[in-house]
Amino acid sequence: MNVEKEEATSMTEQGGEQARTEEFMTNMAESMDGAPKLRTVDLVAFFGKNEALHGINLAIRPNKVTAIIGPSGCGKSTFIRCLNRMHELTPGAKATGQVLLDGENIYAPKTDPVLIRRRIGMVFQKPNPFPTMDIYDNVAAGLKLTGMKKGKNLDDVVKNSLQQASLWDEVKDDLHKPGTSISGGQQQRLCIARTIAMRPEVILMDEPCSALDPIATSKVEELMVQLKGTYTVVVVTHNMQQAARVADYTAFFYLGKLIETGPTASLFENPKEELTERYLTGRFG
Amino acid sequence: MARLMDLGMDRLRNLLLEMGQLSQQTVVTAIEAYHVGKNHQDVNRWSNKLKQLDDQVSELSIELIARFQPVASDLRYIKACMEISYGFYRYGRYAHDIMEVLDTFGDLTKCDHAVVESASGTTKQMIELSVEAFAKKDVELAKKITGMDDYVDDAYRDYISKLMKSKHVDLRCALSQTLILRYLERIADHAVYIGRSVIFIVKGEEPAFEERS
Repeated sequence: MNVEKEEATSMTEQGGEQARTEEFMTNMAESMDGAPKLRTVDLVAFFGKNEALHGINLAIRPNKVTAIIGPSGCGKSTFIRCLNRMHELTPGAKATGQVLLDGENIYAPKTDPVLIRRRIGMVFQKPNPFPTMDIYDNVAAGLKLTGMKKGKNLDDVVKNSLQQASLWDEVKDDLHKPGTSISGGQQQRLCIARTIAMRPEVILMDEPCSALDPIATSKVEELMVQLKGTYTVVVVTHNMQQAARVADYTAFFYLGKLIETGPTASLFENPKEELTERYLTGRFG
Repeated sequence: MARLMDLGMDRLRNLLLEMGQLSQQTVVTAIEAYHVGKNHQDVNRWSNKLKQLDDQVSELSIELIARFQPVASDLRYIKACMEISYGFYRYGRYAHDIMEVLDTFGDLTKCDHAVVESASGTTKQMIELSVEAFAKKDVELAKKITGMDDYVDDAYRDYISKLMKSKHVDLRCALSQTLILRYLERIADHAVYIGRSVIFIVKGEEPAFEERS
């Protein structure tokens, strides 16, 4: 363990304590403003015997964009994969603690993870439209699997989802072209439309713009802000400026611990933890 | 390894240090000129130079924000530097205004300089503290400035109050001293603002303004 890691371990203990205190205060505020959409309680994630997340307590507010930031390997992707039980799909991976969706633990024994993933959708780093399907079917695929038949209802859902993903105007005359025939930015919005079509309550986004150019990035960022009117959005990003632009709340992770969380403006202007300050100002390493 | 942005941040700091030194020199020279009753041409030149340096600080600050998108302490530092730079520029501008008083009223050596001398002594200390507090990022020095501000405020107000009650005044002396005391009072206010910016740089938040009793 290098000096920085040792220091970080000590600081994360302090930071974790403070984060918990702030969390408590946040929760107090929420008791007046409404309950969090999602809340993790002592969430611990493992890959085999390796503990990747060390007891995360974090509340995600409804109809807000929450950004998760931190350096590579800090556990931010693992964290959001725990939020819809995708983490356990990795062989040898497991999670302990609780993830409460509207107050109900999604890790409770009788909970169906498939249903949870319908309520909490995921958009991935790399646009991944189904390569053999056209644009229409890319959006409709999930619904067809649930038994929805072709027809006006399905057409309406596809159109509505593409509209919400700000893609309808660009593809409405090309719905039967392959999903892979459009640009990378459009493909990512197509994936967002596919997620929206399932009528989730929460949309998780794991580095959704890392493969996109600045213009496509800007469109997806605008979309994130629009989507929070209907959904709760959690986005993992390496791009701190993206978090600063789109997120209402930001949480900083380091070495599998939540170091600090709070309203984005105050976290970026005046972080309380020295580790956060050093990360944000590029003074790591 | 130094960050790329640090080159610009160092340049920003050096510009501010240059401004601090020059603005101090400008005000001190203007006050001395008032006391000896002779205009000092360099004051106007230095005042103009301070304006140019303030413009440079603004341009560099905007460039740093545009190129590096600073956050946290970096962002606070740049914001504070813009405010401090403006304060230093204003020191120079009020020194220029003191010279204008000399130009307008002519020889003032026969006026009683006691009140201006006393207020200017405190103002010079406040300027010195503001420059040093910025250079050292010293919160304690910055806090001292606020405590001295009342003295300069009172000197100005008391003088006006005394004038209002006087039946026989030398209008030239009264007007010129009122103006100079007013400029010193404004300089002292800018010293307080600079002190507050130094506290903002170090602590991340400005202290609350204290109400005068």
